[in-house]
Amino acid sequence: MAKAVVEAKGLSFRYRDTSGKRKALDDVSFEVGEGEFFCVIGANGSGKSTLCNALVGLIPHYFVGRMKGTVLVHGADTRESTVGALSMKIGLVFQNPFNQLSYTAGTVAEELAYGLGNRGVPREEMVWKVERVAKLMRIDHIIHKNPLELSGGQVQRVAFGSTFITEPSVLVLDECTTQLDPLGSEEIFDIVKDLNKRGVTVIMVDHDMERVARCADRVMVMDGGRVAAIDSPSRIFGDPDILARGVAAPDYVSICRALGDRGYYSGGLEIEEEPTIAAVKESLRK
Amino acid sequence: MRIELRNLRHVYPTGDEALKGISLEISGTSPVAIIGQNGSGKTTLVKHFNGILRPTSGQVLMDGEDIQSRSTAKWAKEVGYVFQNPDDQIFLETVRKEFEFGPAQIGMPEELVRERIGLIAGLCGLEGKLDVHPFDLTSTEKKFCTIGAVLMMGPKVVVFDEPTCGQDLEGNRRLCGIVKKLEEMGTLCVTISHDMKFVAGNFKRAIVMCKGEVLLDGSVEEVFAEVETIKRSFVSPPPITRVAQGAGLGGTVFTVEAFVRAFEERRA
Repeated sequence: MAKAVVEAKGLSFRYRDTSGKRKALDDVSFEVGEGEFFCVIGANGSGKSTLCNALVGLIPHYFVGRMKGTVLVHGADTRESTVGALSMKIGLVFQNPFNQLSYTAGTVAEELAYGLGNRGVPREEMVWKVERVAKLMRIDHIIHKNPLELSGGQVQRVAFGSTFITEPSVLVLDECTTQLDPLGSEEIFDIVKDLNKRGVTVIMVDHDMERVARCADRVMVMDGGRVAAIDSPSRIFGDPDILARGVAAPDYVSICRALGDRGYYSGGLEIEEEPTIAAVKESLRK
Repeated sequence: MRIELRNLRHVYPTGDEALKGISLEISGTSPVAIIGQNGSGKTTLVKHFNGILRPTSGQVLMDGEDIQSRSTAKWAKEVGYVFQNPDDQIFLETVRKEFEFGPAQIGMPEELVRERIGLIAGLCGLEGKLDVHPFDLTSTEKKFCTIGAVLMMGPKVVVFDEPTCGQDLEGNRRLCGIVKKLEEMGTLCVTISHDMKFVAGNFKRAIVMCKGEVLLDGSVEEVFAEVETIKRSFVSPPPITRVAQGAGLGGTVFTVEAFVRAFEERRA
């Protein structure tokens, strides 16, 4: 694997004042290599969002609780850094985009520029960066609108833009397209895939298993705050035990398995649409 | 409950014409899905069912009664609306209080409220969480808290706006259970969804919207078979259906069993 840019070692976290006695994260260890597309899946409540918060330093700097173990971003311990300094290297797109707005900006342009302003970026640079990212996110037509007047899908695009306008080398995406329709989600993922091709490391939490199968270099399954498995998507989704973890395999796996069980298909389990169609056509000919 | 739309138009104050003259009828208790791209008018449409939005022109009739004859608060008893974002709906300190609020507003007898709390909490998987603060719930549980709060009032029609958004496998299964249960209880369920697996698996009728108009309206099998038309609404059939279509299998399949049957027929 390429040089690790994000490392978690024995990471545990327990929120203060929670009704549950269980740790939100329990002895989590993994590494993400430079330029990797790393997906995190698991049932709701398995610790995925808590993990995202820990990777960008919101744990321990913002959320109150007890943290054990370490998180290293580009080799630096998040405990010894600040959320502001970390945000230069690792950006988080929140699950609920409304939690990400600054609530101080009067326009989308100001919202996008917020992170740059905090870093003292010169005005001219801010202007062209805002224009560029607005065009990329297809929100250039609403740049003068108030962020609070936008639809959920539009706010999600603004949240995205405000995160990668600072060009972090690692993007953490926490179910970041829940407000978008399928086409809008695909547009965003095309942008993410493109950034990934250009070297940005992506750590993505998602419930859409077809998408995870298509994008991920490796997949980590979480269950009850612990790491249940880390492997290639085809091995993860080929493992029948995965259903016991509260996640479904993509439909493609179920098709291959059903045809295989009845003796029509003897190839491997496919996890994407085109190869599955090819496999079905091939089995029809036999 | 019979919902009748007669040439319904809605123009927002910004001048955007969100609905361009829609006429359709929804009746019976079989669940109906409304699908289409963001901005196609789905939410605008369903917000007319309880008068949150009022027609710019045209008519909305609920069991023959014009929507204009009552306030939204008065319609709430019969038409329940579950918001897409649970945080927009939750405002009390415990799940129990969320459940009790609606019934209290419509004067439901306390005894009946108590009885219903048990039933609805069971349906929503919140039996052990009634005295928990809604903001201490997981995102899945929060969603079911808002669903439960609406079902508590025993409405004749329930509208879900994107219920599967952010749900995991378990949440999805529970939601499927609720959609089934509503039909059994004689409640009409109208659901906006982007999740085509969910639509194909749980709904008989689908209405496809595109740019403020109804593009397709029919059984899910008919709708997802219209591959070319449906593309125009930027909706695509569930993955399993696409594989079957791509491999040239007959019919419109939504399940692995149906897929295997179609495969065997084609092979024979």
